[in-house]
Amino acid sequence: MNQKLLRWLVWLCAGLFLCTNAQGQNSPIMIKGKVTDKTGTPLAGATVLVKGKTDATQTTADGTFQLTVHSAAGTLVFSNVGFANKEVAYSGGNTNITVQMDETISVLNDVILTGYIKQKKSDITGAISSIRNKDFKDQPLSNLAQSIEGKVAGLQVTTPSGTPGAGLLVSIRGSNNPLYVVDGIPMLSESNSSLATSYTTDGTVTGQGQNISSISDINPDDIESMEILKDASAASIYGARAANGVVLITTKRGKNGKTDFSFDSYTGIQQVSRKMPFLSSTQLVNLEQDAQKQDLDLYNNNPSVFDSLLNANGVTGFDPSMLTNPLPSSWQSGVNTNWLNQVLHTAPITNIELSARGGNDKTRFFMSGDYFDQTGIVIQNSYKRGSFRVNVDNKVNSRVSIGAGLSFTYGKNRRSFNDDAYTGIVTNAIGASPLMPVYNSDGSYSDYTQYQALWLSDNPVKSAHAIIPITTNYRLIGNVFTDIDLLKNLKYHGSFSTDYTNLTDDQYFDAITSDASGVGGKAFKNFYNNITWIQENTLTYQTNFAKNNSLTVLGGFSMQNSTPQGYGLMGTGFPSGAGLNDISNAVSIFKMPVDPSKNVPVGIVSYFTRILYSFKERYLLSVNAREDGSSLFAPSNRWGFFPGMSAGWLLTKEKFLDHSDVLTSLKLRFSYGELGDLSNNAPFGYRTNYTPASYNGQVGLRPYNLGNPDITWQRNKMVNLGVDVELWKGKISGSIEVYKGNQTKLLTQAPLPSTSGYAAYTVNAGNVENKGIELGISAYPVRNKNFTWTTSFNISYNKNTIQSLYSDEQLLSAYNDLFPTHILKVGESVGSMWGYKFLGINKQTGLPSFSDNLQVLGKAAPDVFGGWSNDFRYKNWDLNIATQFSFGNKVYNLIQAEYLTGGWADGGFDGNNQLVQVFANNASLVDTRWKKAGDASNLPRASVLFNYYQQQSSQFVQNASFFKIKTINLGYNFKPKKPVVYSSLRLYLQVQNLLTVTKYYGFDPEVSSNGGGAPQTAGVDYAAYPQARVFMFGVALNF
Amino acid sequence: MKKHLLFTIITLCTVATACNKILNPASPNAVAPGDIFTSTAGLLEARTGMYATLETKAYYGGIFPLLAECYTDNGTCGGYNTVDLNDITYRAVQTTNLYVDGMYTAMYNSIYTANTILENADKVPNADPTLVDNIKGEAYFVRALAEFDLLRMYGQHWDNSSAFGISLDTSNTNPTVPIARSTVAASYAQIISDLNQAASKINTYNGNMYASASAAKALLARVYLYQGDNDHAAAMATEVINDNNFGLYNANTFTSLYTQKNTSESVFELVFSPQNQSYYNILTFVRTNATISDVFFVASANLDTLFINRPGDMRSKLVDYSDVDNDISIQPNGRSQKYRGETAKDNSAYAIRLAEVYLIRAEALGRTGGGLADLNTLRENRGLADLTDADVPDNSTYLTAILDERRAELNFEGHRLFDLARTHNVENVLGSGVQPIMPIPNREITVANGVVAQNPGY
Repeated sequence: MNQKLLRWLVWLCAGLFLCTNAQGQNSPIMIKGKVTDKTGTPLAGATVLVKGKTDATQTTADGTFQLTVHSAAGTLVFSNVGFANKEVAYSGGNTNITVQMDETISVLNDVILTGYIKQKKSDITGAISSIRNKDFKDQPLSNLAQSIEGKVAGLQVTTPSGTPGAGLLVSIRGSNNPLYVVDGIPMLSESNSSLATSYTTDGTVTGQGQNISSISDINPDDIESMEILKDASAASIYGARAANGVVLITTKRGKNGKTDFSFDSYTGIQQVSRKMPFLSSTQLVNLEQDAQKQDLDLYNNNPSVFDSLLNANGVTGFDPSMLTNPLPSSWQSGVNTNWLNQVLHTAPITNIELSARGGNDKTRFFMSGDYFDQTGIVIQNSYKRGSFRVNVDNKVNSRVSIGAGLSFTYGKNRRSFNDDAYTGIVTNAIGASPLMPVYNSDGSYSDYTQYQALWLSDNPVKSAHAIIPITTNYRLIGNVFTDIDLLKNLKYHGSFSTDYTNLTDDQYFDAITSDASGVGGKAFKNFYNNITWIQENTLTYQTNFAKNNSLTVLGGFSMQNSTPQGYGLMGTGFPSGAGLNDISNAVSIFKMPVDPSKNVPVGIVSYFTRILYSFKERYLLSVNAREDGSSLFAPSNRWGFFPGMSAGWLLTKEKFLDHSDVLTSLKLRFSYGELGDLSNNAPFGYRTNYTPASYNGQVGLRPYNLGNPDITWQRNKMVNLGVDVELWKGKISGSIEVYKGNQTKLLTQAPLPSTSGYAAYTVNAGNVENKGIELGISAYPVRNKNFTWTTSFNISYNKNTIQSLYSDEQLLSAYNDLFPTHILKVGESVGSMWGYKFLGINKQTGLPSFSDNLQVLGKAAPDVFGGWSNDFRYKNWDLNIATQFSFGNKVYNLIQAEYLTGGWADGGFDGNNQLVQVFANNASLVDTRWKKAGDASNLPRASVLFNYYQQQSSQFVQNASFFKIKTINLGYNFKPKKPVVYSSLRLYLQVQNLLTVTKYYGFDPEVSSNGGGAPQTAGVDYAAYPQARVFMFGVALNF
Repeated sequence: MKKHLLFTIITLCTVATACNKILNPASPNAVAPGDIFTSTAGLLEARTGMYATLETKAYYGGIFPLLAECYTDNGTCGGYNTVDLNDITYRAVQTTNLYVDGMYTAMYNSIYTANTILENADKVPNADPTLVDNIKGEAYFVRALAEFDLLRMYGQHWDNSSAFGISLDTSNTNPTVPIARSTVAASYAQIISDLNQAASKINTYNGNMYASASAAKALLARVYLYQGDNDHAAAMATEVINDNNFGLYNANTFTSLYTQKNTSESVFELVFSPQNQSYYNILTFVRTNATISDVFFVASANLDTLFINRPGDMRSKLVDYSDVDNDISIQPNGRSQKYRGETAKDNSAYAIRLAEVYLIRAEALGRTGGGLADLNTLRENRGLADLTDADVPDNSTYLTAILDERRAELNFEGHRLFDLARTHNVENVLGSGVQPIMPIPNREITVANGVVAQNPGY
């Protein structure tokens, strides 16, 4: 359809609705009453509202309510979580309405947030999943994203590493990093810590590491509910930045009644969940002896076999004595260091939290404080987080209410250096020789160069102690808002929110480290702060007309602005051993270069509307539209219009299906929507920029980039078909979704001819398709007085295909000093791995063979993934088992090439043409190698002189499908007959990461050393921080 | 009602202003090109920025000169799993090589920058015409320098009749349109024309960290020598040698060339500072106990042999082959000592030095034309005895002597590969099948979609 025409049409309709409905109001009347459950116990916190109107209140602790209504007669709707809705008619001022509500397991009446508007679940027409506090409150979580892990169809949560405090990777329908909106405040999703990157020893950044996600600072226990907007029509109300889906997070608020306190605490121990066995020093010596023997066999068979190898090393004449020489005497030293045991340890984890919620009819509050302390399983690593939150709501009068929320978080992450890449501590420990002692006899760290493989950069225990990277983060998120009933049925909501981050990265290298030995110690200090503010105004008009028609129209305006600031310093020359690590002690200080796209304020201005219409509560229609303007684009291409629509048909409200006891609800849904994305665009990418550059002590300006004034919004489109089914009033309920999404006009770096002066610039080009099916089912197979069994299962299939690219077959590398590990190729999935195909080991010679051509070897994203969780409650006991699975995903196990060297001495030859005998330790897996003619093996023969492995091959691309028992939680509930001292107490035991079933050889199949945030180069393992198995004991006390 | 209206208007105005403001932020660290060539100060800043483009890591910041060394018998480079650097050492470069690609773009970035100055300098209001001329001359020089470096690295510079010259980029009008390669002859013509412009337009000598008329002439001498035009090469070299700004260091002092800046031996150098470091020290030294697995550029055993056969040559001090470490060493390789200074890391890049100008003239004049005297002038200043006619009885031995002298003098300064290529010695010295130039990067070939031809052999 003509975009412009559609755009104007929608705005016109929205405007008309809002303007023409300014009707007069009737004089108010008062209704009083009481709400109880079946047994007569008062229900606190139940919602009472006038059907089709905006008048509403909540019941107090004794179940009573008072409601001022503006129509003489009507219907009151009573709702409460866990109870079936009840409707009671009223006429005139009625002061004594008593309502008994029936418990239900159906969730159709749950009210969920769908973007500026709350809707009943049964009215929803988009693909939206919802998670309630009760779904995860019994299991302690250290990260918010864990609450949705394996619980929602179409949503994949992976743990790319065990780094404490690192973000989990959340992907909705194949798109990474959704937009999180916490109480209406969109969170910045990028990581701002420079310590997430990986460095080489000369300080060059080689790749990305683990992100600290934008929601890591939020205490999971403060969350009341989360809604995941999966399809484009649902998410499009958040237009800009909603392209990867939206997660709406609502924090807990106060409630009527006496103040409830809750105290939650757990403590536990963590240990590495999967350990890789490595050779002992005796076994390593045996391997090397076999390697020498194998090479000698080759030599005796053909004395010129080594000539070409030697020539390349500048050595002439091969002396076979190097293969018969005894190993150096140090090889009999008896030292047998288990390096993984040296750098990994069992570590504690603790969380303490206290919260209070309460209030009265006028004012309600929620407040909480939390302290989380995790010691990493890698030595010296730790993460501490302290936070508090206050949410307050006040009803000023019958028409005006105001509220505020404030949360503050402090985080201190003493990271493990380069925790996800080479030169990191775990990486170095993996290849370190067992013959190397940790310390010399004088107590100093032993010199790694004498023992280790040459690719290693330092004694790992020394690195852990003498390299000190610390990220300190302060975050303040606050908002104030008001709700005003302007006219009958017309409400105004206005809010102002801020999100302030102040982050400092310190990284200190003592002079004894190999990174800083030449300069007498060095330190980096990076400062980053950002303030985002957002101002939103919405008007909502809600009416019922002509009996069966219900209409809601919302119009809104929002402005958002972020002002980031970041700069960094490097200092060299520190007083060694004095503990003076701060950069202020450095002899020389240099400023680090600032990328011109940084520190630029970014603004978004948006107009939006939603129109919800239902007829007879069975034909549902929703139309969204949003007009976004972004400062990231040239003025002429700045505005994007993003429409969405969805329709639903509630078949069970039709006569032919009504009153069925089996099929209690059946809904068909269809939606289409378009979303804008600008996440891959840098500020001022639309124009050519000059940036400061110095020469000969003078400052000048040099060109930085080639601008492309034509760039505009990336446009993601999605069609969704859904069916919601509920059987036996919620005993079984489920949804099936089928979708097809296209990311079009991708904002991407397009290669340029170098004669332009640049290698690439930003363009809109390409098209990536995601197609998939999702199924989610929950059921209560058993539900009686003493025993309840709840089970929920979800499974999703997603297929990602590149339809077109600006230029085909773009090679990419997860680390920019490595060979291309991935490819973008039309017809393949984003994140396809690239290399030679390993064709196996020749049984006779023990030599590997590889394909002649490079080819696609697999992809990082799974074909099928999901989760299955079961919750059992027997009397006072409860047991929850959560599992997760993933099939079809591969991992490029880059680090494995370094620890399956088969005895290769990578030290080359010394001045006397003798082999430098330095070896990498090997995983015990090396014992399965080819040893003699006829052996069938996947690993080549051992060799001192040759490296038979080919890192860029499918030898190291492995099947990383897995099934995991993520958590088992067993609890016992004490329920006092009379809640005098406390109202409830739960004690529990939990095990996290109990079991992983996988063929993957490595610490964990979910690994993505570069965080996986860049899907093009996801799924590489460079010895990412291992995941921990956690045993914990906890207490949850309410009083 | 009036009050409401007023309130509404004020609100709308405030909102509109705020919207406008947040949608049009100012960058704290970048400016649009239109804001630069508006004053003399801006023009001077663009000039400073132009020199900065030559200093990127991929170009004179380190990679370009060192790659021209480590591809040859002078050096070797690499590191553990750094495939693209190892390929340089193996002289088996892929068209996707990161270093080859980065260098190519960096050179054109300097050309692009010089072009912006050439296109805009005349538009600067109220600028002193002498200054404008001088800066335009410098821009011509920078463009010629990059063009010639491209031709040496990626074009068949030894063959005037070859079609494989470079893509000549003399305008920034349509930057995204690929440019077909010119012939080698046309490439030389453009370079010589630009250098002549530079030599005539630059009217002030601002020190050897800036392009000067003499620098242009020195570069012209080199260009003519590569092209085989010995008469012009010698003439240009003579003009530089006669320039009082420059003089050779002697056998006792010449090692200080590598610890000092802006010496009189330097005709044009790119200066660095601790705040604006070059990569030479990092790339050739890394750290005291470095192993061959570190990413770095080391002197080869073959260069050691050269000096072993040149007793008395003081330049042997600038390469260290001693075994400084215990068990793990980089032997039989050694380390160039030209880029020490681990703390400051501000080693200059010598784009052209007087010693080279003497060598150019020695080669251009030939054995019997007075070249031997130039060769001996340099030898005397490096602690060596003069060569006599008997030492170099014919042109072939004379050329070998010149090449050896160039190797001894200019190793690790970015000359060896080009010297071998222009004298048709690549296969003799580096082995059969070794390509004398780098491939045009794969990206360029793909994007140009047939417009830019790949070099033969790739």
